[in-house]
Amino acid sequence: MSTIDPRIHQVLDGELAADAVPSELRRAVVQLAAAAGLLAAPPASPAASLESRVMAEIRRPVPSRAHRLMRWLVTPRAIILRVRPAWSVAFAVVVAALTLFTADDGGPELAEHEGIAQFVGQFPEAQSVHVVGTFNDWRPGSIALEDHDHDGVWRATVVLPAGTYEYMFVVDGERWVPDHLAERLVADNFGRENSVVIVRPVRR
Amino acid sequence: MGVRGTPPDAEVVALVLAGDTEAFGVVIRRYEAGLLRFATRMLGSRDAAADAVAESFVRAYRHLASCREPARLRTWLYRIVTNRCKSHLVRRSVAEVPLDDAPPLADSADTEAALERADQLQLVERALADLSPDKREAFVLKHVEGLSYEEMAAVTGERIPTLKMRVHRAREALLKALEDHA
Repeated sequence: MSTIDPRIHQVLDGELAADAVPSELRRAVVQLAAAAGLLAAPPASPAASLESRVMAEIRRPVPSRAHRLMRWLVTPRAIILRVRPAWSVAFAVVVAALTLFTADDGGPELAEHEGIAQFVGQFPEAQSVHVVGTFNDWRPGSIALEDHDHDGVWRATVVLPAGTYEYMFVVDGERWVPDHLAERLVADNFGRENSVVIVRPVRR
Repeated sequence: MGVRGTPPDAEVVALVLAGDTEAFGVVIRRYEAGLLRFATRMLGSRDAAADAVAESFVRAYRHLASCREPARLRTWLYRIVTNRCKSHLVRRSVAEVPLDDAPPLADSADTEAALERADQLQLVERALADLSPDKREAFVLKHVEGLSYEEMAAVTGERIPTLKMRVHRAREALLKALEDHA
């Protein structure tokens, strides 16, 4: 049972002209229209990263079930068993990849709120490796890793504002892989995992 | 539907299905504002709304081939976002809707008029949050997003008389809340 005059609904549903109802009913129509207008106001600031977040996700190829199984089987062994002694050093760097260097170490001049993250990954067959994450809106191509000595270990040193970031490597522009040696891995909203780096300020 | 001289939805969908992933950015830019507003009004939280809309866009991209009427992409997207919002709400009771997280007015300058407007908005938001999710959904789709009852039926899967009844009940509750406050 309606608690307001049905003509108000008729006006709001476009079934009756507003000037066909008494002024006391028009007031209710105006009130409801104004309420809807308030709710229709745009958010104070658009979610600027929503598009880049979605585009980053859909650019990532969805691995097949067989591929996920293979990755699950292979990933830990590939890292632990195939490491040659010379690369142990490199992997030690990986473990320390997300640590910080103080300015006294001869690093770049940093602001108080900034720190340094070093990204290291082993991709022997790769032609290019980039790192993408929440620090660059998941945009491929902006931060490249380098492999000057062609030993398959790619590195990049990045100055970032202190904070916690999620990231992945993009190999050859199309293969998105998490860094399994990161401090930790977290599930994203799409059923996969991102690596996490915590950047602490150099100067406390 | 084409917007301001941009290619119509069906054309954009065809591009994406043909392998042009970047063309999906057109879909996002075209509909994100409305979908975000709708999800924010449904969930009462802009962060939760952004998550729901992002998840919905990814889902839409992955199932784009199943969009049988690309020309009615908007309705299809609202349906996906509606379902995501329902999933969020199932995990959270309406009483927990964090109204304080709802977006402030875009023009919330420190003026008397703006403050009054902000008070009014808060009142309306609280009244909206007190509605059951199905009435809230019906009211927002009808009066905030401007969908026709036919489009609402396509979005929600409900019959038009049912939707009309929900909109009517929502109007009555909102009007009562506004008059009680006056």
